[in-house]
Amino acid sequence: MIQSRRNFLRALPAITVGAALAPAPAIASAAGEEEGKHRWAMVVDVQKCIGCQACTVSCIMENAVPENSFRTIVSTYEVHEGKHTGTYMLPRLCNHCANPPCIPVCPVGATFQRKDGVVVVDGDRCVGCAYCVQACPYDARFINHETGKADKCTFCAHRVDAGLLPACVETCVGGARIFGDLNNPNSKVRHLVDQNKMKVLKPEMGTQPHVFYLGLDERFQGRVEGEGTLWQPSGHGA
Amino acid sequence: MDSQIIEVLNVTRETAWLPWAVQYFFLIGLSYGSFMLTLPYFVFGRAQYEKLGRLALLGALACGLTAPVALLADLHGPGRFLNFYLHFQPQSWMSWGSFFIPVYLVGLLLYAWLALRGDFAVQGQGGDSLLTRLYRLAGRGGVAPRMAISAAALLTLVGAVLVALYTGMEVMVVHARPLWNTAFLPLQFAATAFAGAIGLALLFNRFVGDHDTQLEIGLNRLLVLALAVVLTLGGGWLFVSLSGVSPSHSAAFSQVAGMPQWQLTAVWAVLATILPMALAIWRPASSGLITGLIAVHSAWMMRWTIFIGGQSIPKTGAGLYDYHLPLGGDGLLGIVGTLGLWIALLVLMVDYLPWAGQAFASRNKKETNALATSAIAQH
Ligand code: SF4
Ligand code: SF4
Repeated sequence: MIQSRRNFLRALPAITVGAALAPAPAIASAAGEEEGKHRWAMVVDVQKCIGCQACTVSCIMENAVPENSFRTIVSTYEVHEGKHTGTYMLPRLCNHCANPPCIPVCPVGATFQRKDGVVVVDGDRCVGCAYCVQACPYDARFINHETGKADKCTFCAHRVDAGLLPACVETCVGGARIFGDLNNPNSKVRHLVDQNKMKVLKPEMGTQPHVFYLGLDERFQGRVEGEGTLWQPSGHGA
Repeated sequence: MDSQIIEVLNVTRETAWLPWAVQYFFLIGLSYGSFMLTLPYFVFGRAQYEKLGRLALLGALACGLTAPVALLADLHGPGRFLNFYLHFQPQSWMSWGSFFIPVYLVGLLLYAWLALRGDFAVQGQGGDSLLTRLYRLAGRGGVAPRMAISAAALLTLVGAVLVALYTGMEVMVVHARPLWNTAFLPLQFAATAFAGAIGLALLFNRFVGDHDTQLEIGLNRLLVLALAVVLTLGGGWLFVSLSGVSPSHSAAFSQVAGMPQWQLTAVWAVLATILPMALAIWRPASSGLITGLIAVHSAWMMRWTIFIGGQSIPKTGAGLYDYHLPLGGDGLLGIVGTLGLWIALLVLMVDYLPWAGQAFASRNKKETNALATSAIAQH
């Protein structure tokens, strides 16, 4: 943990400056998705998340996500343990799985994985059948009711291809979201993944997520056993 | 330590397979089920099943023609449906489905036409109105050779089996939803489809045919069998879920078992199976209206529960997503709309297709009367 924190602090200026000016070493150059060159991944350091939802908002702004839809959100839980009550924050997004069940079901081949591991939807081809929405074990997908197509987190591929960080990483106040190239032995995510016991969500599904969680409480690894949220966005097409 | 978790903030994922999907699975199931009921008469020539064959053919057509409309409406981009045919994906059941549906429907239309060709010819006799000429055209060649009917039936049967297979597999392969991810599901879809089709035939016997008591008794008997299969499959699912031999079944069970709304649904489903069974055994000659209605209702309800209920279970979050049936096209209007289309098609076919042949005494009288009146009017 201390290791990763120090790493994070050391990397912070490089990343932020890199995002704005020049590509940081851990971030791609615009070269994009040559075979095996990059494997983008994210590490979420759960204990650094303060639940401010800056990532949620910046994602919406960056990707023009329609009202009441979310590509990423920080699920927030109240946990009562004996006499203590605490808050638990869990940033969620598409896991850009190495074995993504959302892809084979697509009846028109509209959803696919880029060579750099990013799972995306070809909007021109998507018929909006929502089969992929059903197949994703993480509820990471939804039908965008402005476009009538499947929508999801793209790791901000358009930014990454341009040498920038995903919007959520860029704005993360607590520094909980760390993004980079697993194929780069010097990248921060590579170090973090190598040096820590990482957890992923629902490992039993065999999806091989590429969003790794640091310090994830087991009770939140799968479907959360608890009382459901009361807040609901208004209905489809409303 | 005693811990309790309350979800304060999370995204609610909207139902992405809409009530349209329920309508599609319901109608296509009733259609292939009804098609099966036409075989004894039209293919195997069993005269005692003529009324059943003719009524069921109407059902197969009305449901089969409405179903794809509902399916198309369930796509959020229906205008892009051509992509199904431009980009075939052999690993996707839905992609296969887009080829199986036309096989079934083309087969069914061909089969219906051949089965009724003799009746078209009869209808086309005398008179020179446009309609009569059309009947003559459709009835060219008179009664179709049994071989031709059988060949068309075989094509339709292949289509029907493929449709039953893909509709079941498509949902079954979704590992992300334990409730769907069970080998029982395709069988349950098929069994409830048959029970529903028998129910539909019972209703048609009352409202479209001439309320034949023998047919009612026969159909009620068949319904008892079909519902017994439905019950056995449900029991099998419960057994596998409780016995712990399959983690995914146990997960499905534990997701819903504690929820009051799911408990209610389970009781409802069991009652809606046992009640018509009991009635059909107790009063086989007079309960057709009620047993038929309940059987059709159960087939629909089962699909509603699987699709809409299944999608209300969050995959990662806590509790249940609340589903409120929207009033517009994505909800109530969609359901009413498909029903309206179905009724309109049925009325059109009852009026213009020579579906009844000579089998229905009362209808023949009516039709002869109508023919006589039109003949008089022409003079
Ligand atoms: S998280 Fe869901 S949408 Fe993202 S790659 Fe995995 S299965 Fe697909
Ligand atoms: S909604 Fe679009 S991307 Fe998803 S499975 Fe259907 S066609 Fe493919």
